[in-house]
Amino acid sequence: MGILENKARARLFYKYLSQVYDQINPFIWNEEMRTEALSLLEFEDAEMVLDVGCGTGFATEGLLEHVDTVYALDQSEHQLEKAYAKFGKTGGPAQFHRGDAERLPFQTDTFDIVWSSGSIEYWPEPVLALREFNRVLKPGGQVLVVGPNYPENPIAQVLADAMMLFYDEHEADRMFKDAGFEEVKHLFQGPSYEPEVAITTIARAPE
Amino acid sequence: MKESLLEILCCPLDKNDLELEDAEYDDSSEDSEILSGTLVCTACGERYPIEDGIPNLLPPDMREESPA
Repeated sequence: MGILENKARARLFYKYLSQVYDQINPFIWNEEMRTEALSLLEFEDAEMVLDVGCGTGFATEGLLEHVDTVYALDQSEHQLEKAYAKFGKTGGPAQFHRGDAERLPFQTDTFDIVWSSGSIEYWPEPVLALREFNRVLKPGGQVLVVGPNYPENPIAQVLADAMMLFYDEHEADRMFKDAGFEEVKHLFQGPSYEPEVAITTIARAPE
Repeated sequence: MKESLLEILCCPLDKNDLELEDAEYDDSSEDSEILSGTLVCTACGERYPIEDGIPNLLPPDMREESPA
């Protein structure tokens, strides 16, 4: 069980995280990995795209290469401030909302694609959030989640277990199927010196 | 936020429709941009503020002013 299950602690964590996030983040999740993940999605008829846990807007930027508008949600005002600076707070290509991944403020059957990268590791109950993704997706819509792959090094495992959620392919499969997704597939991603640091899962809402 | 966004928003707690109250619009935008106001759940009555154009749809237990 991670330290972020208390929501007040989570807020404090994000407040400090936002100050260094774009500096440390490229080491585990970079533009090349983002491009590879984006290539797994079908954007042809997609108009409604949601970025859950958009944070500083790194993935939002990539999604905007494929669609005109991205609906972006984050719980942390401090993280969002960086994203506002990139795309404009209002009237720009990103429509921002503050909200909770596990209790999404969107109507059922709204989105063609739901994306979330670098966020699942902070959710207290990932399956609840994934069920919400399924609910807001149109039937047959695609979900893509990038999370941290569970490390093989035992010392890293202790750190991982203390800090946040990490999961392996088997666990990811279980979570996405529990949340009602179909066609669940996984891709391991990472920079050349650590090629499996991230696990990217894509799946589909049932037709 | 754009007024048209209301169509896809709902109460994060019970997923019912939201109603816009006390809206102030940005006159300079062509697209009915709402600068401030309150989104009120038509079922449970929970109120969600629009602050500087951004709808704050965090459930009440996650808002800054609450002791969480």
